[in-house]
Amino acid sequence: MKKSNVIALVLLSTVFFYACTKDENTSGTNTTLTQNVVKDLMADTIVGLSNGQPVGAGKFTFYSLESNAIVASTDSNSTKWDLAFRGTTILTNAGTSGPGAGGAFIYNGTFDELKTVPVDSVIKKDNYPTSYAITTGSNKGWYVYDGVNNLITPIPGRVLVIKTAKGNYAKVEIINYYKGGTTPAPSAADDIKLKTQRFYTFRYVHQAKGTASFQ
Amino acid sequence: MNPTQLDEVVVTATRTPRTMGNLAIPVSIVGSKTLYQSGSLRLNDILSEQTGLMITDNFGKGIQMQGLSSEYTLILLDGEPLIGRTGGVLDLSRITIRNIRKIEIIKGPSSSLYGSEAMGGVINIITDRAGQNKLDGSLRYARFSTADGSINFSKKFNQADLQFSSNYNRSEGYSLKPFALQKTVEPFWKSVQQLSYNQILSSHWKAGAGIRFNNTHIDNSISVQNLGNTILSKGFEKNGEFNLTPYVQYQVDQKIKSVLRGYVTGFNAVQKLEVKDAYGSYNDAFKQLFARLEQQTDIHPSKFSTLTLGGGLIKEEVSSNRYDSLSTVRKNQIAYIFAQHEQLISDKLTIIGGARFDANKAYASVMSPKLSLQYKIDSYWSFNLSYGRGFKAPDFRQLYLNFTNLAAGAYSVFGTEVAVPEIKRMSTAGLLEQTTDMYSRLSALKPETSGGLNIGFKYQHSNHINANLNLFRNDLSNMIVTDIIAYKKSGGQVYSYFNLKSALTQGAELNVSKQLSKKIHIQSGYQYLFTADKEVLNAIKNGMVYQRNQTTNLVTRMKISDYGGLSFRSRHSANLKAYYENAKGFFATSRLIYRGRWGTTDLDGNGLINRSDEYAKGYLQLNCSAGIQLNSNWKFMTGVDNIFNYKDIYNLPGNPGRVGYLDIQFNF
Repeated sequence: MKKSNVIALVLLSTVFFYACTKDENTSGTNTTLTQNVVKDLMADTIVGLSNGQPVGAGKFTFYSLESNAIVASTDSNSTKWDLAFRGTTILTNAGTSGPGAGGAFIYNGTFDELKTVPVDSVIKKDNYPTSYAITTGSNKGWYVYDGVNNLITPIPGRVLVIKTAKGNYAKVEIINYYKGGTTPAPSAADDIKLKTQRFYTFRYVHQAKGTASFQ
Repeated sequence: MNPTQLDEVVVTATRTPRTMGNLAIPVSIVGSKTLYQSGSLRLNDILSEQTGLMITDNFGKGIQMQGLSSEYTLILLDGEPLIGRTGGVLDLSRITIRNIRKIEIIKGPSSSLYGSEAMGGVINIITDRAGQNKLDGSLRYARFSTADGSINFSKKFNQADLQFSSNYNRSEGYSLKPFALQKTVEPFWKSVQQLSYNQILSSHWKAGAGIRFNNTHIDNSISVQNLGNTILSKGFEKNGEFNLTPYVQYQVDQKIKSVLRGYVTGFNAVQKLEVKDAYGSYNDAFKQLFARLEQQTDIHPSKFSTLTLGGGLIKEEVSSNRYDSLSTVRKNQIAYIFAQHEQLISDKLTIIGGARFDANKAYASVMSPKLSLQYKIDSYWSFNLSYGRGFKAPDFRQLYLNFTNLAAGAYSVFGTEVAVPEIKRMSTAGLLEQTTDMYSRLSALKPETSGGLNIGFKYQHSNHINANLNLFRNDLSNMIVTDIIAYKKSGGQVYSYFNLKSALTQGAELNVSKQLSKKIHIQSGYQYLFTADKEVLNAIKNGMVYQRNQTTNLVTRMKISDYGGLSFRSRHSANLKAYYENAKGFFATSRLIYRGRWGTTDLDGNGLINRSDEYAKGYLQLNCSAGIQLNSNWKFMTGVDNIFNYKDIYNLPGNPGRVGYLDIQFNF
């Protein structure tokens, strides 16, 4: 696994630059929150087939947005992590998933447009097995599953507004679900589609001061 | 359209014989000479070369007309509808054109005359009439061990005529992917036998009957890649079709003619697969029967008007193990009446108005009106305007399907007529997690409907040049789509059908043809097409739709200009055809067909066609042929289709690349 903490990653430099200039124009301040990009975060990658179905080890990967680092799974029952990834399921640290003050909701719009958590937002908590704060299933939460080509694609215009375990806000955009941040071509072999999936690329902005602003 | 065809007679447009130059709606004809010289064998071959028609390759060769897909185009054989659609597609390769005299193509809704399915248009295939005594045969050999043989016989008696034709077509198929376990097109054979007899009984009475059998057999060796495991299976697919067409005609006098026509047709499809290993076998069967009795009377109250009145009864039966057991027969009955009045207001203005009413048991009744006019501006220019309503009845699948896919997530699909009892049964059995809001919205399906407007300008200058421009717009509503009505405890979803979607297709079609010299004739056509799901269009206008850039991964709001419309539609398509013919019986043709890029798969997760990588590449196809008539007995022809050898394994599986052929016709 590879992760990087790059402010202006080549991939997103234009985005970020655009965001910066826009911030200056609208708010008139130069203080901007850091945008973090996490690449190839393994989320229970597939280890084999069982009855013809792909299976991973069944383990979540725990991640701290506050410290931009993976958290050991032995700390799963702590407030050290904010998000946990296993396949397409993403947990937040609250409710049935953890002891934190976390939660989430899905915002429709672009990542850059989301400058403040809307006042009327309803933060949901995980309630296993009935529902998750980040709704699971194709075309319901953050991704769509193409059953013909067997591909998972993040839905553009869906931003995950996360409450961290400590109760701070973060906005997260899932960019890709495949290794290297590149979705295999629809014509690629099933084998490649299986082996390269469950590698998250996402970017996020985290407000450590406890306000609802991402500026 | 060939300029010499201006006075050619068309029967499909108004259900009465009319000359091409006097029609108020867009019509084109492909005549027997073009059919022969183009070297076409099956209906899809020749239609793919016509302006504004696209051949689709899903469940067989389908047709797309004015941007409307195959299920919305009615295919008639000598005026009677062909049945046996799979997934809404009537496979055009079922139809041989060896015994075809001409094909009439009517664009825009014609449900006012033909009822269900005539939304995008009507294609009427008119078989050879016995005008003479003849016996001819033809043989064709082409790449992939494709062979085609035909015999046509016709005999004219004093008061009667008889004709028989038989066609056999086979191919070894081909593989586009080397080393693939399964061929792209599997070996197949097709055969058609047709017999018809007409008898003049008196100066007033005429009667006749036709019978036709059509059989297709396809070898199937399917290899399914099930997550790393290759499952091989062997089997076959078999389609049988028969048509029986008796009629009686009564000509009262010059002014009144009445025809009573019966039509019985059946379609029987079987697919059997023996799966290796312990997966067992797969057996799919589908049977459809369609019977119709129709009466039509044409009255000419004066030489300036024609009144057409008619009505009929249709009985339809379907049984399939896709719905439930084969022994359960689903039935529907339709009764309909139609009327049309054509009036010459002046030398310049003709108005045609008509309507049809269809009433039936299984779904809501529907009224289809149509109004069209033609105005001859001067001896060169004419203007046409027509508005019509079209409809498509919900099919048996949408009403009765009872399908559970055990392999893929155990989802189920229920037709609207069986959904409620099935949900109740599953609920009682404790299989359901919950029902959705859509479950409470389940109701009897309505027919899908459309309104089509066509505005045309025609220019014709003697027989030398001929041009026409047609602007069209079709508004489709009540389109039937699936939605989730419940979730199973196992996590699977349960779907049913709803009248939810609305869409539009609009565009322009331009055709120009010119006789360059006595020997050379050229034709050219272009279609511009814009299609959209109306709900999506509104969402884009409201800024609710997003897209992800392929290289920067940046998400932006989609603009209307980013929207590629409905999938499998080409915005641009064109053709340029040249025909050479000399007095010594030699001919040569060159037909260049262009199909612009078309949307195939969403790749950025918004479910829409917007990014350039979501399109199949546009392509040019050049087909050429040349032939000679040696004497009154022998004709030779050779040709090459797809000379540029264009192939697209994923998007054009039906295109094998360059194909050469040799063709012999002999006359006894």
